[in-house]
Amino acid sequence: MIARSTVIHDTKGLLDALPTLKLDVPDDVFLATGNARCAKAEVFVNEGDHVYLGQVIGMRDGGFFKQPIHATVSGTFTGYEEHYHRNGKMTKFIRLHNDHKDEWDPSLQPRSDEEIAKLTRKDFVEILQQNAMVGLGGSSFPTHVKFNHDKPINVILINAIECEPYITSDIRLMNEEIEKIIQGILLIQQAFSCKKALICIKKKHGKLCRVYEEYLRRYPDSGIEVCRVGNFYPQGWEIAMIKSALGIDIPSGHLPSEYGIANFNVSTAWGIYDAVKLNRPVVERRISVSGDAVNYPSNFNVRVGTPLRFLLEKCGGYRHPDKDKTIILGGPMMGASMPSDDCILTKTVTSVLVFDYEEAPESPCIRCGSCVYSCPTGLEPKQIMDAVKAFDKPRMKALNPLKCIECGLCTYVCTSHIRVTDYVRRAKVFAKMK
Amino acid sequence: MNIIKETAPHIRRKDSLTRMLLDVVIALIPVVVMAYVAYGWAAFRNFAVSIATMMASEFVFVLIMNRIPYDGTKHTLKEQFLHGCKAYRPHHALAPLVSAMIFALIMPPDSNPGYVIYLALVFGSLFGMIIGKFVFGGTGNNIFNPAAAGMVFAKLCFGSKYVYTTNNYVSAVESGGTVLSNLTNTSTSLVGRYASIGDISVFDMFFGRIPGTIGEGFKVAILIGLVYLLIRRAADYRVLLSFGLGYVGLMALAGIFVVTKVPGVDYGHFLLFQLLTGGVMFGAVYMLTDPVTMPINAPGRVMYGLLAAGLTVTIRLFGALPEGMAFSILICNLVAPALDHYTYSGNRFTPKKIAVIAGMAAVFILAVCLGLGFQEGVTL
Repeated sequence: MIARSTVIHDTKGLLDALPTLKLDVPDDVFLATGNARCAKAEVFVNEGDHVYLGQVIGMRDGGFFKQPIHATVSGTFTGYEEHYHRNGKMTKFIRLHNDHKDEWDPSLQPRSDEEIAKLTRKDFVEILQQNAMVGLGGSSFPTHVKFNHDKPINVILINAIECEPYITSDIRLMNEEIEKIIQGILLIQQAFSCKKALICIKKKHGKLCRVYEEYLRRYPDSGIEVCRVGNFYPQGWEIAMIKSALGIDIPSGHLPSEYGIANFNVSTAWGIYDAVKLNRPVVERRISVSGDAVNYPSNFNVRVGTPLRFLLEKCGGYRHPDKDKTIILGGPMMGASMPSDDCILTKTVTSVLVFDYEEAPESPCIRCGSCVYSCPTGLEPKQIMDAVKAFDKPRMKALNPLKCIECGLCTYVCTSHIRVTDYVRRAKVFAKMK
Repeated sequence: MNIIKETAPHIRRKDSLTRMLLDVVIALIPVVVMAYVAYGWAAFRNFAVSIATMMASEFVFVLIMNRIPYDGTKHTLKEQFLHGCKAYRPHHALAPLVSAMIFALIMPPDSNPGYVIYLALVFGSLFGMIIGKFVFGGTGNNIFNPAAAGMVFAKLCFGSKYVYTTNNYVSAVESGGTVLSNLTNTSTSLVGRYASIGDISVFDMFFGRIPGTIGEGFKVAILIGLVYLLIRRAADYRVLLSFGLGYVGLMALAGIFVVTKVPGVDYGHFLLFQLLTGGVMFGAVYMLTDPVTMPINAPGRVMYGLLAAGLTVTIRLFGALPEGMAFSILICNLVAPALDHYTYSGNRFTPKKIAVIAGMAAVFILAVCLGLGFQEGVTL
């Protein structure tokens, strides 16, 4: 088939209509001592110490920023254990034994409205850093860095697009936590002293758009509006979102803040409310469990640090236990495949997908051009693949593989089932080398 | 149960190479059926010989390319054979099937003496597969369309022995040539030879009642195939659109010269004559749309179609050969890698690319004007 594919067969189906279930907190939760952005960590507590919910028990060091580790249950610190992290690496995890009391750290007092009204952008940076706020849409980019500049911001975009198929956690969050989300957006507006904010929602979620428009009548002077954007993939990519919502084309290599735009995921806005108003870190988040190989796909409110096996057991286990599986944390297009089901759900995991593994043998490329037509950045994946196979570095560099956002569309559309994205990733590595 | 790690993305479009090749085979079926109805045994012989030759050569190629790697021990021929057979996949059967069907359809129904057609079929098939495809690395790597390469080779070797009139369905002309090759013989003037095209009715041309190769005649079947290919997206509409617009546009320009210089030629009839005779339609629908030998991006494909249209028109109007579809396809195949060169390739229609497309069109318009403008007219 020689065709551009932008709409991915979506199986959100009934899952976005089911309410989020509360997952029990397991007896042991695990907190990573390192992640993709922070290599080192320091732990302040000793074995046997009692910890409160939300207490800072360590500090991760990410080079240009520090990220505190918050306990997500109250209980006892019982040592370290090795599990797989979301990035696919074996990582040392802090094990906390849960006493099922959920006692919040008494030092975390909610802020009064007067206190909040006095906060400036600098204070927001500090609060968000103390609460270890990161991009909850899956990027895990520290949110305080986005606040830590002096450029004027004219418009705030809230990314509620969730363009990857199978995932419904953001839709459920938007249905269930509407007040918190709007309060969070108001706080972001205050930080940037910016009057305009757009909530970007896909056109096809017409009901959700109308719910928000109706609800926003209660905030007549807030400047928050609903912006209907396209249904295609990758609409959630920030450049595509800005293009659809505002019509501004940001060239690659530039930041949206240079154009007076700040963008946040909708769950980040929800988290910012908790961090600023309640002075609490994110200890719970919504995770979609979906895929053909899960018995009961559903959305869960999961305590950060829950082992994946515990979650999958609550979903009724695997549908076909004898078949080989692939387990994906994140969406089916860009998510990371796990080498084992022995991994830990961190606060940036948006979904868990389990598929039956199907081997698709590669055929020779017949240059149908679907990858070229589908690439959202206008690259030519087939030509990059040829350059990688020939190990022709000047050719690789001339084809600009660094523009690639790894959306995975080239592999998705490939008629010959070639993993084109892998070749482009390799070309990116080579193009960065001198 | 094992957990298997794979790289993103983890889902695929419902699509496969087998499906795409099967679509082309299905699109060819109406033409094949009509060829059989019109030519009977001759069509069957063309298919049988070329399909057998091409599929057998592809099978041998697979065996040669998939030998057991050297591991210090000697392997018997049987082991080598079985190892090669394991690598034989559906597309190894379907790709030569498509090439062979197209090749058989662009070959003549008969020859004089009769055995020459067998030689033409066998050697044409072998040349098309070996020189057109295998020397570049097999399916997906070929520069030339195997069917076009084989057809041109056979034509250059055995062309003078071809005979185009040996069945009951074809009625209009008795001599051994096609309509177009007969034109070349009637007049030395490039415009004057169109004086008598009014003798052949549009009905005859449209329903294949003119001599020609076995597949190019019945235009309804080709149009059905075209619609199927476009619905299934197995052919790129960009190439077809730019070829069609370029061909009709240039022929419309040529028609103005012919109509003004030669009395008695109907403008509309001239256009339909150029569209419906020869292999233009068949070549455009089934051979030009072969994605392997096309450029890979949209501007390149538009240029490719336009170039093919311009070359076909120039060969038809001025060339020593009666028609040039296969030749122009081969020349465009040669140009395709240059249109894809990494220093300027890209999928966006930049102003430069549009300028190049306009320049190409201007060159061909100039060629038609200069070529026909100075020709002497015919007086009754």
